[in-house]
Amino acid sequence: MGERNKYLDKEYTRRQFLKLSGKSLAGLAISASMLDVLGVTAEAVAEDKVRVWAFPQGLLVVDADRCVGCQRCEINCTLTNDGCTSSYISRVKVTRNLFSSRQGSGLYTDDPWTYFPDTCRQCEDPACGNACPMQAIYVDESGIRRVDQDKCVGCGACQQACPWHMPTVNPVTHKSSKCIMCGACVEGCPSGALSIIPWDRIVSVSQAI
Amino acid sequence: MSVKNGINGWAGTILRINLSTGAITTEDTLPKYKPYMGGMGIGYKVILDEVPLTTKAFDEENKVIFSVGPLTASGVPCSGRTTITSLSSWSKGLSILDAHMGGHFAHNIKYAGYDAIIIEGKSDKHVYIKIEDDKVTLEDASEVWGKGTFESNKIVAKACGEEFDVCSIGPAGENLVPYSTIITSRGNSGGAGMAAVLGSKGVKALAIRGTGAVKIARPQELKLLANYMIKDLVGGNNNHNVPRVPQSWAEYSATVNNRWQGAPGRKWELAPHGPVDTGEQPSGQINVAAYRCTKGVHEFGEVALKYTVKQGGCSSCPVRCYTEYQMDCLADYDLPVHASNACIPMSSQSSFYMGNTHDFTYEGDAKLVLAGAGSRAMDDYGVDNNYGNLGRDFIRLYKSGLLKEHMTEEEWNDVPWDLMEAGDPRFVVELYKRFASNKGVWADLTSGSYFLYKKWGLDDASKNSAGLNFYDDVDGNNTNVTYNGYPKHHSIEDAWQSGLLYNLMYNRDCMVHVLTNFVRSGSPFEEVIKPVMEEYFGEGVVDAPKNYTPINDAKIRLAKWAFLEKQWHDSATLCNWMYPMTLSTSPKRRYRGDLELDAKYLSAVTGDDYTLDDIMHDMERISHMLRGMTAISFAINEGVKNLRDTHDAIPAWNFDKDPDIPVFTEGTDKMDREDMEKAKTMFYEAMGWNTETGIPTRETLEKYGLEDLAAKMDEYGLL
Repeated sequence: MGERNKYLDKEYTRRQFLKLSGKSLAGLAISASMLDVLGVTAEAVAEDKVRVWAFPQGLLVVDADRCVGCQRCEINCTLTNDGCTSSYISRVKVTRNLFSSRQGSGLYTDDPWTYFPDTCRQCEDPACGNACPMQAIYVDESGIRRVDQDKCVGCGACQQACPWHMPTVNPVTHKSSKCIMCGACVEGCPSGALSIIPWDRIVSVSQAI
Repeated sequence: MSVKNGINGWAGTILRINLSTGAITTEDTLPKYKPYMGGMGIGYKVILDEVPLTTKAFDEENKVIFSVGPLTASGVPCSGRTTITSLSSWSKGLSILDAHMGGHFAHNIKYAGYDAIIIEGKSDKHVYIKIEDDKVTLEDASEVWGKGTFESNKIVAKACGEEFDVCSIGPAGENLVPYSTIITSRGNSGGAGMAAVLGSKGVKALAIRGTGAVKIARPQELKLLANYMIKDLVGGNNNHNVPRVPQSWAEYSATVNNRWQGAPGRKWELAPHGPVDTGEQPSGQINVAAYRCTKGVHEFGEVALKYTVKQGGCSSCPVRCYTEYQMDCLADYDLPVHASNACIPMSSQSSFYMGNTHDFTYEGDAKLVLAGAGSRAMDDYGVDNNYGNLGRDFIRLYKSGLLKEHMTEEEWNDVPWDLMEAGDPRFVVELYKRFASNKGVWADLTSGSYFLYKKWGLDDASKNSAGLNFYDDVDGNNTNVTYNGYPKHHSIEDAWQSGLLYNLMYNRDCMVHVLTNFVRSGSPFEEVIKPVMEEYFGEGVVDAPKNYTPINDAKIRLAKWAFLEKQWHDSATLCNWMYPMTLSTSPKRRYRGDLELDAKYLSAVTGDDYTLDDIMHDMERISHMLRGMTAISFAINEGVKNLRDTHDAIPAWNFDKDPDIPVFTEGTDKMDREDMEKAKTMFYEAMGWNTETGIPTRETLEKYGLEDLAAKMDEYGLL
C-alpha cells in the first residue's frame, strides 16, 4: 500500500463509507486487498459498476455481474417487511432493471444480460425526506432513514422526489416504504450479487479514501 | 389485488378476455376452482366446462388458458411457471394438453391480481393484450405482426413501460404452424402449438405488469422453509445433488455428467468486468446456490465458459439453468450474438448439419455456436420442435432420401444446402424460416410427427420407398414412445417400467422429470439412491442402470407418485425440473430429501394445513380429468373406446432393441412385452381405471366429484 494509506478504526471507516454511500467508487484508489474483500475487480470500480452502501452491519456491495435476475431479493424484502410477496413495493428493486429499463438494458433490449438490484442510497441530504410534506421520513438511532407509518399520508412526494424513485407507496395500504437496511435481500441472494461485508473485515484492509 | 381481498396464496380472480366481443370480465377463483388447485387444474376445468371436445384447435370456440397457482410468486423457490392449456393441433386424438412457460411472466400474472387468464373468441384485428393490474386493453399489434419474437417483445415492452413483462408468438404462430411456441424473457417458451392457437385468435402478444402482492398466511415460516430448501436440499438443475467436479467439502462427486457443473476455476469468462469464478458451493450456504448449475458445461463442456456472461432463469429460482451467452463470432455471419436457452433447443441444433460442422473461435465450440444460432432462430420464428422430434424426423428423412423424394425441385433447390455443408450457422436459421412458413413440404414437417407419418406413409414400412417405420424401428433417431406423435421424455433409459408408464399418459411428451432427477443426480447408486428411494417407496423400487428387474408394486407406487407430482407442479405452480426435493445436498442428512416440503409450503402460504396425501388426492382428480377428456377425444376423433390398446400402445423398439441381450439382464434397458402389459394393468388398478380400457371408472370419477365428466363420457359410451 502507498504512503497515503492509513488504517482506520471501525467507526471512522464506517463514517468514511457513509459519505460515499450510494455514490460511485470510480476514480478512487482502492487497494487490491480491499477489492478482494469486496469481491470485485478494479475494472468494475473504474467503470462505475460497483456501488456500495454503508449499512449498520457492514458495507453493502452490489455487483451487477453476479446478478442472475431471480428476484429473490424482492421476495425476501417483502416477505420480511410486508408479510407478502411483491416486486412493486419491494425496497430493493431489480424487476424494473430486468426487462426494458430506463438505462436501455434488460432482457428485452439489445443489452440483455445487464440487470442488477438497486436500493436506497441513505442519502446524507435525502430528497425523499425533504419533499415529505408530513415530515414522516426520519433518521433513527442507527442513521437509517425510515418512514413513520403514522405520519405518512401516501401522497407519493417522496417517490417523485427521489432521483432513483426508491420509496414506494403501497397501493393497498397507501403508505410509503423504503429500505430500512434489514439485510433480508442480502441474506437470501443466491449469487452473492448483494453482499454485506462486515465492518471488521473492511477495517482490517481499509485505506484512506 | 390479493392483499386487498384477503385471500392467502391465490390471487382470487380470473380474468376473461373475449376477443370476439371485446368483453373483458373477471370472476372469482374460489370456491369453484379450489378442488383443481391452480395452473393445469384450472386450465383443464375450463376446457372441460366450456369447450366441447368436438372443437378443433383453431376454431373460434377453442380457448387458451394462462394459469398459475397458489404457490406461484409466493416466495417458494422455483415457483415461476405459467401453465398454458388448450386443445392439441398436432397429436393423435387432438385432445387436451398443456405447455409450461418459465421466465418471469407467472409472477406478473399473480402480482397483477390473477390466477388465470382465459382467452376466448377471435379478434378481427391483430392485437396484443395489455394488462396493468385491473386495466386490461386490446392494443393494435400491426407494428409487430410478422416480426420475430425478440423484436416483438422488445417493441411491446418499450411501448408499455419499464416494468412490463411480455410474451409473444413468432411467424410460426401467426402462420398457424402446429409446431409453434410462445416466447418470453430470453428463450423461455410455452410450446406444444399454443402459439398457433393464439395466432388463430389474432393475438400476437401479452404484456403484463402487476403492482399487487401475494398474501402469505405465515410469511416468516415460509421464509425459513425457503432458506432451508436452498441451504440443505437444492443442488444444480434437476436438483442434481452432488457436484460434478470434486469440492473440498463434498463427500462425493458425480458419477455421471450431471447438471451441477460449477467448480473452482470454472468462470463466467465474459462477465463484463472480469471473469466470475463459480468457486465452491457447499451445502448449507444460500449465497452460492446460483453458481452450482453453470449449465452450459453440462451441454457443451468447458468451452461453454468462454462465451458465458452469466446464468439466468426464472423468477424466484436460485438454480439458474439458462446460460446467458455472448457469441461474437456470430456477428461475422450477420447473426445476433446473444443466445440463451436450455436443454433440447440447445442440444439439438448441430444435428441438422449431418456431421458438417467446424469450430469457430475455440477448439470444440462448433456444437455450442450452432446451438446459439439455431436456438435463437427457433425462438425468434417461434418454432417448437416437439422435444426434438422435428430434428429427428428431418434427419431420418434426409438420410433416407425421403425428404428429397417429397420435395418439389423448387423446394429442394431453395434450401441453401451449401451452407449446411460449410457448417455455416446461417443454415439452421434458414431452416427455421422455412419451418415457420406452413407452406408445402415444410407444412408437412411441422404438422407434427403423427400427421407427417400418416401422410407420407412413415408409419408402415411397406408404404414408403425407404422401408422405414418411424414408430417401431430401432434407430437412434426414433424415440417415439407412443403411436400418438411425440417422443419419450426420460423413459425406460432412466426409469424402467415406471418411466415408460407416465410417458404414455399425456397428449404430448410427458415433461416428467421426477424420476430422472434422482437417477441422473450423480449420487452413487448403492450408497445414496437405492437406500433413499427404498426408504420412501419400499424394496425393489429402483433398478441399477441397465440392469432391470420385472415390474413390482413398489415400481407402480413410484410411477403413480411421479405422474401425480407432475400434475401438482403444473397446478401449484412449481418447476418440475426441480421438484420434488427427493434428494438433498447435505451429507449430514445422508442426502435424504424432503417429500413433504411442498405440503409444508402450501400450508404456510394458504394457512390451511395440507399433507402430501391431501395434495396427491387433488392431483388424482386432475389426472382423471386428463384421462377422461383424452378418452372422449379418442372416441370423437379416432372412433375408439379404449385407450389401453390405442393411446397407450408402445412402439416395438422399446422391446426389440439390443437383440443380443436378454431382457432383465445387465447391459440393456429394454422392456418385455408381457411384463409391460402387466405393468399397465397394475398402474390402471392403482389409478382406479378400468384395466381393459385404461379409462377411469364411474366409481372413481364420482369419488373425486367428477360427475360432470362422467356425464360427458356417458355420451360416448365410455363408462
